[in-house]
Amino acid sequence: MDTDGKADAGLLERSRRIKTAAELGLARSSRGRHWSRALLLRRRLLISKEETTTTTRAAVEVEKLGVEDEPEEKMLQARVRTLQRLVPGGEEIMEAERLFEETADYIEALQEQVSAMRALACLLHGFQRTRGGS
Amino acid sequence: MEKERFFGGGWKSAHAGLLPEVSAFAGDEHLPHSFVGFGWEQPVHGQEAHAQQLESALSSLVSSPSSNAPDGNDSVVIRELIGRLGSICNSGNVSPSSRCHSAHASYYSTPLSSPPKLNLAGADHQRQRMLVNQVAAAPFLADQGFAERAARFSCFGAAEAGQLSRVSSRQSLAKEVAASYAMMAGSSSSPEASSASEKLTAVVAEHNARKRKAAPKGKGKAAAPSSSSAMDPPEASPKIESFIDASKLCELIPLPQEENSDSKRCKAAEAGGADKDAPVKPKTEQNSSDDGNAKPPEPPKDYIHVRARRGQATDSHSLAERVRREKISERMKLLQDLVPGCNKVTGKAVMLDEIINYVQSLQRQVEFLSMKLATLDPQLEFDTETLLSKEMHQVHVPLPQQVLFPLDMATSAFSLAQLPLKLAENPPDSMFSSLQLPPIDHLANLWEDDLRYVVQTGFPQSQEAPFSSGALRAE
Repeated sequence: MDTDGKADAGLLERSRRIKTAAELGLARSSRGRHWSRALLLRRRLLISKEETTTTTRAAVEVEKLGVEDEPEEKMLQARVRTLQRLVPGGEEIMEAERLFEETADYIEALQEQVSAMRALACLLHGFQRTRGGS
Repeated sequence: MEKERFFGGGWKSAHAGLLPEVSAFAGDEHLPHSFVGFGWEQPVHGQEAHAQQLESALSSLVSSPSSNAPDGNDSVVIRELIGRLGSICNSGNVSPSSRCHSAHASYYSTPLSSPPKLNLAGADHQRQRMLVNQVAAAPFLADQGFAERAARFSCFGAAEAGQLSRVSSRQSLAKEVAASYAMMAGSSSSPEASSASEKLTAVVAEHNARKRKAAPKGKGKAAAPSSSSAMDPPEASPKIESFIDASKLCELIPLPQEENSDSKRCKAAEAGGADKDAPVKPKTEQNSSDDGNAKPPEPPKDYIHVRARRGQATDSHSLAERVRREKISERMKLLQDLVPGCNKVTGKAVMLDEIINYVQSLQRQVEFLSMKLATLDPQLEFDTETLLSKEMHQVHVPLPQQVLFPLDMATSAFSLAQLPLKLAENPPDSMFSSLQLPPIDHLANLWEDDLRYVVQTGFPQSQEAPFSSGALRAE
């Protein structure tokens, strides 16, 4: 197999698949969280090549009545909305408290994912070096 | 390096012989990789050359969490994986390090330690390390612990958010250990494990301070019905927020699906706690709570009694509002702990900014790493359809059946690398039911099986086929 001979598209395709699978693993490892379910749903749809309109759902307004006054409140709301978009499935979460919970869990899972993938990359790199290339 | 010397010894020594070395060696924060090194003690004689590289790689990898270019060869990544996965909290954070230690050690130690060793109530680092080392005989169970830990720890951590002091957090974690231990006992159906879990919960329960209640209480309740009775007596009036958190967390976790530990825990917690906060009705109460007017107490009644503060409105709306705000700030504190460098930042807006940046950077890292992995190993193939189909078929899947995906890749990489692919031949059930490595004639198979222990956490036999085919295809 020579992906070297192939174009970059092959590389991109593989990396995308890797990333997809990574996300699947990530989501599955944290089964039961809202974001994991949303991630699985999103990925499943993408993998199945279904062009549905699930992503066109409008972001649910997070009503966070902070203790501050109006302009700060708006700033906070904007940030919370950004966070909603970042966390998978965050757009369906209405309460700020739930959103933060999901964010915390998602962050932890992402950290694990990153470290695992990094370690794997090091491993493969080492293998390549010992074997003198794949 | 001292670590290398240790690991070199570890490679050759027997399992039991490694114990004192490990406990002696373990520093303060490198708990995970001492455990991990321990897990690999089954001698892979054919890999001696690798062993040295592994050790150096592991030590450098773990000691410098941000670097991913160790000096030696990195074939020890599985060890590092375990170490990394376990040391998530340690690598990134400062404050919850002790918490993560406890959680880490507890999850590792859950299924295998004999009952007297699981006395985590005192919960100091040294003892936890010893416990971890003793557990190392079954790395796959550690992986089980991984899979559960992510969910459970986060669940737990969120519940404990605003109220943990370091000491009491350990106690709560000890309770969490009890919960997870009982869960593991249930899943692995080992009588010693269940008795140990009960004992542990009892120990933890009596060790528990007055303050720490709702989340571990809920979890402890669900952990084992017998242990719940042990948990109940020490439970004084728990704080309102933690209790709400526990129930809310349990609502988060889907009950009907798999009978994983969370659902079990939360079912029982819900049953036990439903009476307490189902109608979250704030009510002012003149109660001589332990903490004055700061936090409301939790009498065993139908309502959540919120104590009004001095000089503040006492109508139900503002009280509910205040409770809500406190919950939100708890969550934010938890997030602050997670995100590195957020401790100095004050103010919600800036903290939110930091959180957003961090999540974005993590996602970008995942993308980058996936690209890098794609370039690194052209033979790495992933049957995403299979993964997805597995996902869709896994309706009744118990908790152990979770695979951390990158470990899948590691397995296929390993199989590619050098060893005969015996994955399909070794029935996973026998491997996982027996809490030790199966007798294998071929050393390469030992390596494979170790990998399998690390990677998989109890896929049923039926689901082995797609995985092995995926791995085979990688060749």
